[in-house]
Amino acid sequence: MKVNIKMGMFFLALLWVFSAIPLTAAPGSQILYETDSIYHHITIRQEGMERCMIFGRQRDLRQTCLDLEKPDASVFEYTAMMFAGFLFRPDAKSVCLIGLGGGYIPTVFRMHLPQVRLHSVEVDPLVEKLAAKYFGFSVPAGQTLSIDDGRQFLKKSKERYDQIWLDAFNSDYIPAHMATKEFLMLVRSRLTEGGIVIQNLFCDNRLYDAQIATFRSVFAKVFVFEGRKSGSCIIVASDRPATDPAGLGKQAQRFGGRIGRIDLFAEITKCKASTAVKNATVLTDDFNPANLLLMQKK
Amino acid sequence: MSIVYAVFILLLVWFGAAVMSLEILSSNLMSPYFGGSIYIWGSIISSFMVHFSVGYVLGGWLSRRFPKISVLAAFLVVCSLWVLMIPLIYQPVCEFISEQIVDVRLGSLAAMNAIFLVPISIMAMVSPYIIGITTAWQRQSGLTAGMVLFISTVGSFVGTNATAFYLISLFPVSRIITGVGIICLAVSLLVLLLRIDRRIRIPDPNNCT
Repeated sequence: MKVNIKMGMFFLALLWVFSAIPLTAAPGSQILYETDSIYHHITIRQEGMERCMIFGRQRDLRQTCLDLEKPDASVFEYTAMMFAGFLFRPDAKSVCLIGLGGGYIPTVFRMHLPQVRLHSVEVDPLVEKLAAKYFGFSVPAGQTLSIDDGRQFLKKSKERYDQIWLDAFNSDYIPAHMATKEFLMLVRSRLTEGGIVIQNLFCDNRLYDAQIATFRSVFAKVFVFEGRKSGSCIIVASDRPATDPAGLGKQAQRFGGRIGRIDLFAEITKCKASTAVKNATVLTDDFNPANLLLMQKK
Repeated sequence: MSIVYAVFILLLVWFGAAVMSLEILSSNLMSPYFGGSIYIWGSIISSFMVHFSVGYVLGGWLSRRFPKISVLAAFLVVCSLWVLMIPLIYQPVCEFISEQIVDVRLGSLAAMNAIFLVPISIMAMVSPYIIGITTAWQRQSGLTAGMVLFISTVGSFVGTNATAFYLISLFPVSRIITGVGIICLAVSLLVLLLRIDRRIRIPDPNNCT
């Protein structure tokens, strides 16, 4: 009997230790809010001055972060590379951004590229509310926001943009209907003459190759930025870009080498004119195993 | 008698699988026009439930009125031809509906019903039809209703996973649907040709011997 009580105490102690582990694992990390929207499980977490919106339960992968003291500092490599992609159409006056997240990209446009009319599109109404509440995001003057599915929005809107940014893709799920040739043809039809499309994705899976093949089936020129600090890659595509990768340095000079805190000269070294893809098939609305390819590592 | 059961099991397994294969594939048909949100799955699942209930009532009623497998097989031929048409009709149907109805919930619900009401309702008739026939034919020793539903559900399990895990990464959606349609047609024609009804004697309900 005594042994049983001892054992019981032991297990209770063990339980207490294990339940305490998550608290000790991330010192200074604090969960501010956690909820389920119609699309995601969303967590707002803060660590030091860095506040993140995390989608899904795979906690360190699908997120958007903001440095509360330096809201224009690119916490992630991919956003810095996307702004380097901006140089392929540096005189852009109108940009459409699909995927709002915590509103980091609109913040950089507001602070450092005020000449650009930015139209953001976010599918999840709760993301907008949380961006407002926890990330201080409000639609700035000269910018607009639609709550809609990216593909539906572009289909209904007849407006044309100098740049279309696709940031609706995450590491463990992508909206497959925005990965197809038909979608990219719709995107192309919404671009002005010489307009560019910039897409964020992860480069370590077979979907990356399929996406490059799909972009190549629609656009004359396809460039990539390959991340060095992270597994992120950026695709930039256009029928008539303002420059080729070799000329990016000159364009960066026009911006004084920086967009806010982003060092353009460092980012443009990650750009490649071409990248080899093996056994990649073009994705269409009919043949679209996008999310299965995403799970297959190269 | 064993061939009768073989035919029953073939019908239950195959159409159980075909229903779920089409359910999985329908999300690929809907998402280019209505987005990829949980709304789409709401529309897909709820409209299939409506089609199931139509099929259950109709199948139960018809099995009493015409307790013949050939009648069921004739319906299944119509259903198969409809499935074969889906790759041809879904684009214009979805295009038209998404232009008429702005709300994606209502739009996808309308599109799902326009495309799938007829074939899925007919496929859902299979289980109640077979339950109706076996209970009228062999009150004691036949397949129990539970067994019929079990076999058809095993088919559904295979159809769901084979489609979602493998077929979608191997073939275009339109080709998978055509394949499902061709097998549906082959199975229904085979069942018609076998003339199973000769082997099923439904006793006269007024004769109590």
